[in-house]
Amino acid sequence: MKRSILFFLSLVCTVLAFDLQGRVQWNEHCSGAAELGQAKVVLDNGLRKGSITQDGTFTIPDVPPGIYILSVIAHDHVFEKLRVDVLETDTLPEVHPYVPGTPLSSSTAVSLPYPIQMSAVHRLNFYTEREGFNLVGMFKNPMMMMMLFGGGLVFAMPYIMKNLDPEALQTLEKRQATISSIQSSIHSGDLKSGISALMQMGDEDANAATGKPQTESKPSGSSLKQRSGRNKKR
Amino acid sequence: MLRLLALWLASIAALPAFAIHASEAGVVDWYKPLIGDALTGNPNLSPVFHRTTQDNGNTKSLVLTATSSNVLSGLHPDNGSIAWRYLFEDDDRVLAFKKHKNRVAAVSGVGGATVRILDVTTGHLLHERHLHKPEAGRLLEPDSTGVALAFDSTSNVYALANGHTVRKIDASTGEVLWGWAAPDQASLNVYSAVLPTPSAVYLIGLAKSFASYTLHITALSPADGSVLGSKDVSSSIEQGPASLFALSNPAVELGHARVLWLEANQIKSVRLTPELKEKPTTVKGTAYRKLVDLGLSDHGLLVAIKDDGSGHVVKLDDEGSGLKVIWEFADSADSAQNTASLYTGGLDKAGNPYVGRVFWSHFYKKASAHILAPHLAEGKGLVTGYTFPFETGVHGIIGNVAIDAANPEEFRVIGRVLATTTTGAIQLWQQDQLQWTREESLADIRVAEFVELPERKLVEAGLDDGHETFAERVRRQISEARDFPHYAVHFVKRFVTGSYDSVSSSVAPTSNDTALSRDTFGFRKILVVATGRGKVYGIDSANGEILWSRLFGLGWAAEVGGRIFPLKIYTTKTVMDAETPQVVIVTQRRANNGLVDTVLFHVDALTGEDSTGKSAAAEMLPGIDTIAGPLVEAYLVRDEATKFVLLFDEFLQAHIYPDTSETSASFEKLIPSLNFALRTGQVGSFRLTGHRLGLQKEFTGKYIAHPTWAASLPDSEDIQAVVTRPHEPVASLGKVLGNRTTLYKYLNPNVVAVVTSSLKAPTPSCGIYVMDVVKGSTLYHSVLPATGGACDIKAAFTENWLIYHYYDDDFGVDQAKSYRVVSVELYEGSGVDSKISSSDLSSFANSSTNVNVIEQTYVFPRGVSAMTTTTTKFGITSKDLIVAGENGIVQALPRRFFDPRRPKRKPTTEEQEEWLVQYDALIPDDPKRVLSHNYHVANVRSILTSPALLESTSLVFAYGLDLFSTRVTPSNTFDVLSENFNKMQLVLTISGLALAILITKPMVRNKRLRERWYN
Repeated sequence: MKRSILFFLSLVCTVLAFDLQGRVQWNEHCSGAAELGQAKVVLDNGLRKGSITQDGTFTIPDVPPGIYILSVIAHDHVFEKLRVDVLETDTLPEVHPYVPGTPLSSSTAVSLPYPIQMSAVHRLNFYTEREGFNLVGMFKNPMMMMMLFGGGLVFAMPYIMKNLDPEALQTLEKRQATISSIQSSIHSGDLKSGISALMQMGDEDANAATGKPQTESKPSGSSLKQRSGRNKKR
Repeated sequence: MLRLLALWLASIAALPAFAIHASEAGVVDWYKPLIGDALTGNPNLSPVFHRTTQDNGNTKSLVLTATSSNVLSGLHPDNGSIAWRYLFEDDDRVLAFKKHKNRVAAVSGVGGATVRILDVTTGHLLHERHLHKPEAGRLLEPDSTGVALAFDSTSNVYALANGHTVRKIDASTGEVLWGWAAPDQASLNVYSAVLPTPSAVYLIGLAKSFASYTLHITALSPADGSVLGSKDVSSSIEQGPASLFALSNPAVELGHARVLWLEANQIKSVRLTPELKEKPTTVKGTAYRKLVDLGLSDHGLLVAIKDDGSGHVVKLDDEGSGLKVIWEFADSADSAQNTASLYTGGLDKAGNPYVGRVFWSHFYKKASAHILAPHLAEGKGLVTGYTFPFETGVHGIIGNVAIDAANPEEFRVIGRVLATTTTGAIQLWQQDQLQWTREESLADIRVAEFVELPERKLVEAGLDDGHETFAERVRRQISEARDFPHYAVHFVKRFVTGSYDSVSSSVAPTSNDTALSRDTFGFRKILVVATGRGKVYGIDSANGEILWSRLFGLGWAAEVGGRIFPLKIYTTKTVMDAETPQVVIVTQRRANNGLVDTVLFHVDALTGEDSTGKSAAAEMLPGIDTIAGPLVEAYLVRDEATKFVLLFDEFLQAHIYPDTSETSASFEKLIPSLNFALRTGQVGSFRLTGHRLGLQKEFTGKYIAHPTWAASLPDSEDIQAVVTRPHEPVASLGKVLGNRTTLYKYLNPNVVAVVTSSLKAPTPSCGIYVMDVVKGSTLYHSVLPATGGACDIKAAFTENWLIYHYYDDDFGVDQAKSYRVVSVELYEGSGVDSKISSSDLSSFANSSTNVNVIEQTYVFPRGVSAMTTTTTKFGITSKDLIVAGENGIVQALPRRFFDPRRPKRKPTTEEQEEWLVQYDALIPDDPKRVLSHNYHVANVRSILTSPALLESTSLVFAYGLDLFSTRVTPSNTFDVLSENFNKMQLVLTISGLALAILITKPMVRNKRLRERWYN
């Protein structure tokens, strides 16, 4: 019984086979058949297909009732995929948008008109741009900026120092000496003295805790002192 | 160490995707669009010249042809380039095409199912009309029987389909104006031609009667397709529809049209009138054996071959019997000196017809062309003849000709001859000058192989050096010292400008460089390809130029004729063997008397010379008849020292080539370890049976293979393909996971993937297996749907990774119709850190089937026609999957996309450490990964990959209808400086620093000095 119904259904199917028609509309992504090249519209895996003619129309002949995914096979252009339901009744097929990778049943209730209208979503760009040599871009690099800043500072520092208030200069010097003492003590592994020096950093009127830093004070510090001395002379 | 390397590689893989820069297009890759070898001997499909008049009054000609690759194409006659091509689907064979002014109509499909109308200058499809369902097509032999096309003078197309239905189609709108079907379709009455005239459309067919055919003509009204008359003409035609010709003459008022046929060696004809009242007449006097269509039937011209072989030009004539012999070609009778003549027709600018005759002279070793202009010399006819130096040793035999003529002044005719050869070449000769050649047999490549080139040093020094005396050595070194200044200059220049060899530059040789040698990175190789047209080519992989080509000799079959089909190609000697690289091509020769032999051809890959040394370069390549019968299977067996080809005949006897004492000793040593699976049984019910060789020679002096196991597949299951893994090194034996455990790869060398189909089963399905060929155990099995009653599964298998692609139209739970790829990874043991050393383990060990399969399915964006994985020199670089898409693209997809261990949630830190990304069903379709960028690489059948000298780079060659080659770097070019590396920036920074030092140094010195003074 079941088989006979199936047989009957298949008979009906062959009788009701439908010519699916549609049109590709030319737009800014795809201006015409010359740009599109030889392209075809296929149902599912391409067993049923129709070519896109010069005016964009296509016909897929003899489609039996069923649910199909309609896609355009073109080399340079991307088209939306559509779900097409060819019905067993005389009514026109239903067309819905379809997102690849999703279940067929979940496609939206949005219905598109029949005959099918579609257009290119975008034109594929196969190339990437190579980064050329760009002077501005080169200097936008943070490393480069740091280097430039450092270089600028080398030249600007003496002038800044010259214009600084002598007292402020002295506190600065002192602080620098402390820091260098901490650094040197940490370097020499004498953590204790380093920490104690760090503790003293908090006190405003602290003088150098150990004798070491004084003797090992950085040449830069002495040069600054020297320079300030020179200023006084003048 | 291994772990570090893996992590480092993973980090490389995470770098920005490989992509093509516009400047590299056409430099690192090349593309050769082809049309396939032109069909010969069928006036409805063979090449023909066509001239169209443009709007400005100029004329432009094209060569139109249909090809065996199912392409309809227009070629520019000036340079042989493709003006356009229209690709037909595989199930939609083109059966006939007709041209008229600026339109081409083509009919295709079973019984003429579809008519397409194309623009003749651009090839754009104007209209497509499906006439009947493909299932409703009548299968007639040959398949173009009962299918015909004709244009009338007002650009309407009459299409005859299935031998009994005719439709009138308006070529400008594509509308079917009317259709007519024979009332008695089941009868033995098959129409084969349609001839439209202003007064009536005649359908000419044959009705089967005892022992012969009877001519049947139906006249229809051109306006509405109503029947004006239908008549059986009393006749007895012995040959089929091929001996029936319709001629018409549009010049005469009301038109004169006749049907011609041969009856008892006499040309008989009947005049066509709408009432069909005329009686047949006979051309008396001469006996003819054949009528030849020139493509000039609408100019009332035809060639009749006399009994002695000479050609008579027959023209419609309004007086007498209606036909008149207007010319007899001199010396066209059969002779030992000349081959049989080929006749063809062509038109000049003014539309005057010309008849051409081309033949090969054995005596002069040249081809001759005679062109008859019937309208010249006051209507008496003028013949212009010349010879042209056709190279029969290179291009075979001329199989088809088309002519185009110009008549610049009286008594002077210039002819262009388009010759199609048996090797698939299309050549255009203008008088005796060869204008161009297209090697179209390259659209039918059966086997291909990359062969490495030797280094330049080796090439220059000669390969077999090594023994030289002291004096010779001194002399050589003095002579080499001459090059020192050049070298020094070059070195300094390179050092200063930094112009090193770049990985993105072309490796094609410059014009002054003739020696065939490797480039710095080994990107340049030789592609040896053997085609189905009996020719082997050596192609430069750098630019696609043909370096050499050789014709396969037919051996004893040359007397009866035959064809050679290449089956396998093996590189038996490489550059490493301190000899010129050599390849062996295993072919099957099918002689026209039905005998099949297995023949080997052994050639030098660099020059195409015969490596057996038996033939000179200009001769045909002699084959080595190895097996007198068909081949069952062939393998390349590798030993430490030797490589040889192992072939099995029908009786499973083992033959080896080259059969030297060294190779046979090596073979005998290897016998106990040789195990292989053969496809046995009949077509449609192939079985996979494991074999091994007997340890003793049989009385025939050969070793014989014995079956050891048979795959226990269901009866209905047929073996479609066996996918073997490429011979390549494996860099790492395992995969280190984020939690510092290891998955060991299952690397059993005896494993193959098998694609099966069981279409005859109650529920048709397809299957894929991974099997051990030594003991026949199944390691992995999956059942796939058979969509549309066919199994179209593409698979690639490398290391422990199997990937396959199929279409799933499953109406199951999620109802997601789509193309799928399944990525399967095989690991040892049952989980992490379990190791069985599968690469060294005997297949007979119990634990060899201890496999941990991890698989995952992804949705693939499109159908594919071929897929493969990249191969690199040491196998360290990660692998890309290379696929040829149905829309003519070749795309490289990183393996990371297909990792079956991609988590279905947000990746944990451990997983992130492995660079696993969250599972997404859809494989991203990124146009930047399209290797073939703007090229339309059509109908790719196979993709070949080969390692370059650089570990990072793999060479890719895709062939099918077109040829495409490029190189890919799946993990970027980690072993050379990146092309994006900004040398300018480095130089500027360093010079800036140097400058800063230069400026500050005196300043610091001054300051120090001052410090000393004032301190």
